[in-house]
This record gives sequence, structure tokens and C-alpha cells, in this order.
Amino acid sequence: MYGGGYIFDEPNGKQLREEQQHDDPGKLSAFEERIARGEKIEPGDWMPAEYRRQLIRLIEQHAHSEIIGALPEGTWITRAPGFKRKLALIAKVQDEIGHGQLLYNAAETLGKSREAMINDLLSGKSKYSNVFNYPAKTWADVTVIGFLIDAAAIVNQVANAKGSYGPYCRALERICYEESFHLKQGHDAFIELATGTPEQKAMLQDALNRWWQPIMHFFGPPDKTSQHSEKLMQWKVKMASNDEMRNQFLDSYVPKIWELGLTLPDPLLRKNADTGRWEYTDPNWDEFFRVINGGGPCNAERLQVRKWAEEEGRWVRKALMNPAERRSLPVA
Amino acid sequence: MSSNAALTDLIIKMADDELVLGHRNSEWTGLGPVMEEDIAFSSMAQDKIGHAWALYRILHENLGGEDPDRFAFMRPESAFKCAHLVEMPNGGYDFSLIRHFLFDHAETVRYESLQDSSFEPFQLLSKKVKGELKYHTLHANAFIIQLSKASEEGYARMQTALNDTIALAAGIFEPSAAHEEELIAEKVYPGEKALYHRWLDRIYPVLVKASLNLPDMETITPVYGGRQGFHTTHLAPLLKEMGEVFNLDTEASW
Amino acid sequence: MSNESLDPRVNRLKLGDASAVIKVEEGENWNVYEVFHQEKRGAHHEHVGCVHAPDPQLALVFAKEQFARRKKCVNLWVVRSADILAFDVEDEDMFANNLEKNYRDASGFKVMEKINKFKQSK
Ligand SMILES: [Fe+2]
Ligand SMILES: [Fe+2]
Ligand SMILES: [Fe+2]
Repeated sequence: MYGGGYIFDEPNGKQLREEQQHDDPGKLSAFEERIARGEKIEPGDWMPAEYRRQLIRLIEQHAHSEIIGALPEGTWITRAPGFKRKLALIAKVQDEIGHGQLLYNAAETLGKSREAMINDLLSGKSKYSNVFNYPAKTWADVTVIGFLIDAAAIVNQVANAKGSYGPYCRALERICYEESFHLKQGHDAFIELATGTPEQKAMLQDALNRWWQPIMHFFGPPDKTSQHSEKLMQWKVKMASNDEMRNQFLDSYVPKIWELGLTLPDPLLRKNADTGRWEYTDPNWDEFFRVINGGGPCNAERLQVRKWAEEEGRWVRKALMNPAERRSLPVA
Repeated sequence: MSSNAALTDLIIKMADDELVLGHRNSEWTGLGPVMEEDIAFSSMAQDKIGHAWALYRILHENLGGEDPDRFAFMRPESAFKCAHLVEMPNGGYDFSLIRHFLFDHAETVRYESLQDSSFEPFQLLSKKVKGELKYHTLHANAFIIQLSKASEEGYARMQTALNDTIALAAGIFEPSAAHEEELIAEKVYPGEKALYHRWLDRIYPVLVKASLNLPDMETITPVYGGRQGFHTTHLAPLLKEMGEVFNLDTEASW
Repeated sequence: MSNESLDPRVNRLKLGDASAVIKVEEGENWNVYEVFHQEKRGAHHEHVGCVHAPDPQLALVFAKEQFARRKKCVNLWVVRSADILAFDVEDEDMFANNLEKNYRDASGFKVMEKINKFKQSK
């Protein structure tokens, strides 16, 4: 999974728009024509500085989200009930690490090293999807994550896979293929609880209630408040607006929740038959920003665990380092 | 054909080792030293749990044993027959790697010996897992050799971990007075002693390549007991955790 | 002992302080190797991505699980990214006229026309 649809902005947009003005106008228009024709941009191509910067940020945050996203579900690796669930969960969390690997590689083609990206994650400079700052309290939480968070991620990733940057699209193609397994195994485990004993059902309903708001947050603030850049859309960095993706998610998955006799904690949630769009209570966006800025229940633990892993593995990496070797970034 | 009791005993030992070590190794998933290795180590953990599952299925389908999930997730600690080696907490990556190296070579010689077992399900299984085990030992050998040769710290860590682990690993080959002779006579497998020597023949050249010193095997005391149901204090909490969700309702489907 | 995490795995770790400064050194994730995947015997090896590894041997070990744990595969190649030589993007124009040189192509030769013309002339 897990490119949260929301790209976290750094407060220096202005400065960069100036930087933008230094791009050669002739090259810029050739670049934009190329994208308009549906061509992909490859690592060696000329690209506007702002395009490069935004892509690094997008792909890097996506990569962080994968390896941090492995943690809430990893919580249940040692407790998954039965062989099939146990193996599927390990394989799924493993895939998420694999997605991180693919995405860091894609970002590296733009000139930022994996080490630099990891450092920005550890220092808090670079964000990851907010949804992973919430705890997975019970086994039912894992099924909600596997089914619905992965589903949300798929909506986002399928859109991004049509973007303009070749290496990112190629990584997403592979990722989307694996996500279909995540979604299926999550849905299967979800249905098992929904159709199980009263206790299993209650456990699932409770998890669903707790995860609904983070899921609604997943695609980012509503279009009316987020100044989503026309440029990013034109450059095919951002492929769909937050509200569009949220609506698409609701359209595909709310019926799949309701058909199992489960409820969602939003009395206003319904599809408007006239407009064809979903209506819902606006989730608490102050809470969203509070959690992004470190105030969530698990922010500290997530980074502490990542730091532990980097520290614990350092001797292995250092022992095998070969400083004399000619190094380079990925080529494609 | 050898008796069900003897076969059952052997299968439970093998399967419990695989399950408990696979479980331990899966604790690294998401926390490994570098993403590429995280992925590789996780696959090998999955393979082990998969081997355990396959063995419990043989028990279930051929020898009248219980359903694999119930057998694995509900049995009391004393009914487990795993070696102490696999019960130990992960510790650092050095211990985990050495354990992986020592165990997977033991696993390899064991499955190889089953290729012409008189018990047909063993033959089929050993064919199926052959390629997986080849990768596991390739991975283990590469890491052991490279880490030992790369730096002083790498070498020291590997040698220390080897010294600390070898007696536990030798415990994999704990003999069984009750059943072993029968299994050897019936050509089910060649027995623990034979496997132990084949294992030493496998690990020794790798250790030489790594310039690591194999402790004098005459002087170490293999850690036995696991095969008889006597375990370290680490196993009970592991099993409790593993069965936590399953045992919320053992009649429910999860 | 316990970190009061909901994750029993995490509770077994000796976690450091959340505010601790942990930095990874440049080069600690080793070098980059491009990975080529062969789906079946007789097929070309195709580029599928890359792995970070300290040497070719471990690159191959890593590539096996990252790029061949699901997909059908019979072999893999790895090669150091630094050893890949490619044309500059600006040199794309060198390939521009390939399609126009029909003297290299079967379709550039109209034998039947000539034969028919010959037959008619008889
Ligand atoms: Fe993912
Ligand atoms: Fe996923
Ligand atoms: Fe193994």
C-alpha cells in the first residue's frame, strides 16, 4: 500500500516558484508538450526543478508510508490465527517492505539517495501517511487495514500509475499487482469476522468504528480547502483530486461493508442518487493536522521502532560497506 | 512399514522446529537491517512455517493426527518437541544469522535423507522443499562468509555467536531411544547420529571459508531435552502469544 | 522491560528515546545493482528494477526474493548500475530516421510488381 493521496507541503512554496522561473522557457514548453502527449519522463530527461522536487517528495513519502505501514500490521504477525492467516500476513507485510524498496529506488533516480531519504524520515523532516499513526488494537484491526486501507491505497496508486514519471509508474505497476493480493486477503479475513460469531462481529464493528475517521482522512483535506496545484495536475504528478479519490473509494467499498450487515459511524453517509456522489460528515481536520504534526497515538512509537531497526542493523551494513567501490544511483 | 507412533514422533519434532523457528524469524519482518535482507529473511521464515504446515498435514492425513491449525495453535507446551535452539529469543542479527545457518544446514541434510525414505509422503515433501532449502543455505553461507571476512567486528560477532550457539544446534540431533532404531531399520530415515555427521560435513567447509573456528565438538555438551517435551522458559510465552487470537474461540473460524 | 506497545515484538526491543538523533551514513545502504529477469528458458532477460547490495553475489541473493518470489522466473542477472552505459537523452535524434530507410526492409522491395510487368510485356 499506501501512498496517502495527500502530499504534505513544506512551507516554502513561494521560494520554489521563483526557482521555477529560472527554468529555460523553451525546454519547459517542450517538457509540458511531451507530458500532454502522454509521453513518460525518464531519469535523464530535462525536467523543471519544481517537478523534480515535487516528485521526490511524493515518491519518498510514499516509500516511507510503506515501511512505516508495515508496523501496525506487523503488530499481529506473531498472533495471526492459523497457518493461512499467519503466512498471508507475513507475506503481506513483506510486500510492503518490498514496495518501499521499489519506491526508494524510483525516488533515487531523481537524485536523492536512499540514505538521505531514510534520514529525513527518522528526523521527522519527511512525512508518511497519517493513517499509520493509529494503533492496531485487535486482530479485527488487521482485517480492516488489509481490506480498507489497502483498498484506499489502491485507488490512489492506480491513479498515480498513470502519471508522467516513468520509474514511478513502473514501480506502481508492480505494486498494484501485489496490492490486489493484499486487498483480497484482507477482504477474506474481514468477511470471516463479519460472518462469524457475535463476538467476532462485535470485534470487527469496533475496529471499523475506530478506523473510519482515519480512512476518511486518508485522501487528504477536501478540495475546497487544499490549494492543490494546477501545475501538479498538468505535469501529471497528482492525478486526481482528494475528493475525487475519496468519492471513488466510497463508491467501491461502502456497499461492500454494508452488504455484510456492518455499520459506519456516520449518520449522514449516503450516495446522492441525483449527483451520483457520496455525502458524508466532514471528518475532523484539526485532528488530522494534529496527528500529522506528531500528536497521534503512535507517531513516537513508529519512529522509535524505525530508529531501533536502523541502529540494530547498522553493524551489518557497515561491515559490508565497500567505500572504494564506484557507486551510482539506479539508472531506470 | 514402521509404526505410527515412531513416525508421528519424528514428524512432530521436525514440524515443531520449523514452526517455532519460522515464527521467531518472522519477528524480523519489517525490522531487518536493510530492506533487501528484510525481504529475503521474511521469505525464508515463511518457508519454514510452510514446511511445518506441510508436516502437520501429513500427520493429519496419513497418520490420523489432528487438524493442523488446532494441533499447532492449541497444544500445551509439554506436547511440543522442538529443540531449544529454535526457542531462543532473536537477540541480535548475529545470533539470528548463525542460528539460520546452523539450522538450515541441519534441515537440508535431513530433507535430503528423506528423498528415498520408505515413507512416501516424506519423499514427496523432500522433493518439494529442495529448491527452497538450496536458497536458504546459499543465503546463509554468503552472509556468514562475507560478514566474517569483511571487518573485525563482523568476524568477532560471527565467531562469538557461533560459540554461543553450537551446543544448542547440536541439540537438534537429540537421539530418541524409543523410536529411532525402528525408523532406521524401516529405512524411514538414517537416524540422528548419521545426520549429525552429515551436518558437520556441510558446515565445516563453509566455516573454513569464513575463517571461523568450529569449537571442538568433543568438548561441547549438546543441549537436549526439547525432544522429550522439556523446554526453556522462552517457549511457553511464545506459544501463548502465537495462539492468542486463535484461542479466543477455538471453535470459530478465523 | 515493556515499552507498553500493543506489539509484543516491539515490547521485546530495547527502544531508544523517541527524540534520539539517528543518522544513516551515506553509502550504508551499499551500491546499486540493476536486475534482469528471465521468465522462461529461451526468453530475453528483462530489466525489472534494482537492489542495493554490497557485492554481486548478495545482489543476486537479494534479487531472487525481491524480483522472483512470485513471478515465474528461471534465471536472473545483476549488474552494477555504475557499469551501465546508455545514450544521452539528447541523442534520441540519432534514431529518428530508422523507419524511413526502407532499403533495409522487405517491404521496400516490390518484386511482384516487377514480375507482373514482365509477364504482361510478353
Ligand atoms: Fe504497499
Ligand atoms: Fe498493501
Ligand atoms: Fe530453512
